[in-house]
Amino acid sequence: MRKFISLILVGIIASGITLSLLKIPFGTPKTKVGNYYLNRGIEQTGAVNIVTSVVLNYRGFDTLGEVTVLFIAALGLGMVTLTFKREKREIQPSSFILSVGSRFLFPFILLFGTYIFLHGHLSPGGGFQGGAIIASGFLLIYLGCKREINEKRFKLTESLAGLVFLIIGLMGLYFSGYFLFNFLPKGVANTLFSAGIIPLIYIAIGFKVGAELAGIINDLMEEK
Amino acid sequence: MNPVLLIVIPLGFAFFIPLLGFISRKAEKFIPSLALLINIILSLSLLPSVMRKPIIVLLGGFPPPFCINLFVGPVGVIFSLIIAIVGFLVSIYAWSYIGGDGKREEKYHMLYLLLLAGATGVVLTGDIFNLFVFYEILCISSYALVAYLGEKAGVESASKYLIQGSVGSTLILIAIGLLYGQFGTLNMADIAQNINTINPLHLFIPLVLLLTGLGVEAAIFPLNAWLPDAHSSAPSTISAILSGIAIKIGIYAMARVVFTIFGAYQILLFLILLGVITLLVGELSAFSQNNIKRMLAYSSIGQMGLILLALSIGTVEGISSGLFQIFTHAFSKSLLFLAAGYMIYQAGSLKISSLEGMGKKMPLSSLAFSIGAFSLIGLPPFMGFGSKFMIIRSLLEKGNSLFTTLAGIVLVGTVIEGAYFFKVIQRLYFKETAESEGGVKEAPVGALLPMIFLVVLIISIGVYPKMITGILNSCAGELLNRLEYIKAVFGG
Repeated sequence: MRKFISLILVGIIASGITLSLLKIPFGTPKTKVGNYYLNRGIEQTGAVNIVTSVVLNYRGFDTLGEVTVLFIAALGLGMVTLTFKREKREIQPSSFILSVGSRFLFPFILLFGTYIFLHGHLSPGGGFQGGAIIASGFLLIYLGCKREINEKRFKLTESLAGLVFLIIGLMGLYFSGYFLFNFLPKGVANTLFSAGIIPLIYIAIGFKVGAELAGIINDLMEEK
Repeated sequence: MNPVLLIVIPLGFAFFIPLLGFISRKAEKFIPSLALLINIILSLSLLPSVMRKPIIVLLGGFPPPFCINLFVGPVGVIFSLIIAIVGFLVSIYAWSYIGGDGKREEKYHMLYLLLLAGATGVVLTGDIFNLFVFYEILCISSYALVAYLGEKAGVESASKYLIQGSVGSTLILIAIGLLYGQFGTLNMADIAQNINTINPLHLFIPLVLLLTGLGVEAAIFPLNAWLPDAHSSAPSTISAILSGIAIKIGIYAMARVVFTIFGAYQILLFLILLGVITLLVGELSAFSQNNIKRMLAYSSIGQMGLILLALSIGTVEGISSGLFQIFTHAFSKSLLFLAAGYMIYQAGSLKISSLEGMGKKMPLSSLAFSIGAFSLIGLPPFMGFGSKFMIIRSLLEKGNSLFTTLAGIVLVGTVIEGAYFFKVIQRLYFKETAESEGGVKEAPVGALLPMIFLVVLIISIGVYPKMITGILNSCAGELLNRLEYIKAVFGG
């Protein structure tokens, strides 16, 4: 009986979602906000990567919120894991090839991550992706060698990067009356120094996300 | 002053706390209070101007619906004022209750401030995806704070809350995706403006998903299984904030979705039904508890049912009485949790029976607890009398036999509420205990001051309800008058 009722409920929801989905004009240029961004994005924000111009300029406030969500997740995890007891157990040291290899790769991973967030307004990628790549470098170091990150420095980076994002927003408010207004010159599209505040915010986000994800890895290490 | 500062200031101060920690760990605990005090002043200074005309804040400086806009009307400002007042008082209480020189205390104060920033963001925003983002900030920081004590019970109930809350959030996100697909916009006013162009059959599922997802946070039956555990195993300051603020944000968002975005008056009857069930289930469960915090948590569920019932009446009087009840409950329940906090600490147990004789040992905390309870029950001259009276009156004004029956059910709920609160109060004052362990002391001054302030608020609004009813009426007007809302955003 219970299964039968569940089945009926699932059926209703599935048919409802299908009905709604059928109405969505996929692939046609009907969505009005999307069209506006596509037609006027480059001219209004100076970023040739339209996704970036939406994420950081048209909907920059959402991104501020998303950055905060990640910050809270890392913070909460850090708070909860502080109370956990860390086990001491025998672990085998990693092999020579792994430890040398990860140390050799580490700077290149950082460089690649930096490239991704610096070019967020020009090519696919951005602060979140670049930060995640940087954190993967730290993960490699944790796996390959017995080194730890300096928690204090990472915390400092996180907080400063968050404040930089807010201060850029507040400068927009001060200069033009709109929070997160793109108050810097937009430059020539397709060049590195273009799109006003967008690259600056992405640099801050890159640092912040990299530090946060590395901090999460540090918090989740079973043994220190 | 730009209203966006109401969100930016708590966020900025929360990011600033670790930097301050490098200089002085001791000063960190004062930062949330400072930030929220600024928010109180800002909201008070905005209140007169938004009563005349809502302020539309464009973020990024593009015309709506192409940017995110804040809709700073009476509802947004009065909610952010309440959030700031309750948050400020609870943060003062936390100076002594949580303290602050360790790593975990630092994280507590940051998460606390971020939780309130998220709540403020939800009530001010005029964009449905932005609402979701701030809602996530609110929810994720509350999952973490429930686990603050690090005990097994706390972590377990936080996980339970996390799982249910995440499922709810996912449903909201799916609904937002479906809405965006159909309307091509995320702006609430823009969706509201075009809602009639879409066949209601295709809007039904997004509405249901939104209400289910938001209902988890609002603790509407049958989505409230997480609440008693989470509220009772969190530290008392967090229980006060979760009961006082967090669940109200869920119900605010539900009201915004139903009234402003969808204008879905057809489902109000269903919501009334849910409200009645929630009310009765909550109050009856509260009655059978012998753990003081669980009792208060179940009583919150009952109150949420009452609030949902009042809001779903759908008239100006009904909605303003529902909002009034939201504020009554925000003040009274946080007062109850704060007063109970130190009593539990001194008694060393959560059992109601262990609080016997506290009326003599901790007279001020017990008095604060009793006043909070009286106000929730709805005794004059406390704030709860005004709100419950308004709910009953707006139910009776509908003149329909169904609504008269509902008024009767509300009164039955009140009787049950009275029964369990008086049971506790009787134990506090009229049970003699063996004068053995003399270590029971009154709560510290830093914790008493916020309680006294809440008592003053409850009594003064109870004596002069006119102070707030005018604002409530224009809030109800904002929620009901969709055309005005759309016009305010698009300036037509």
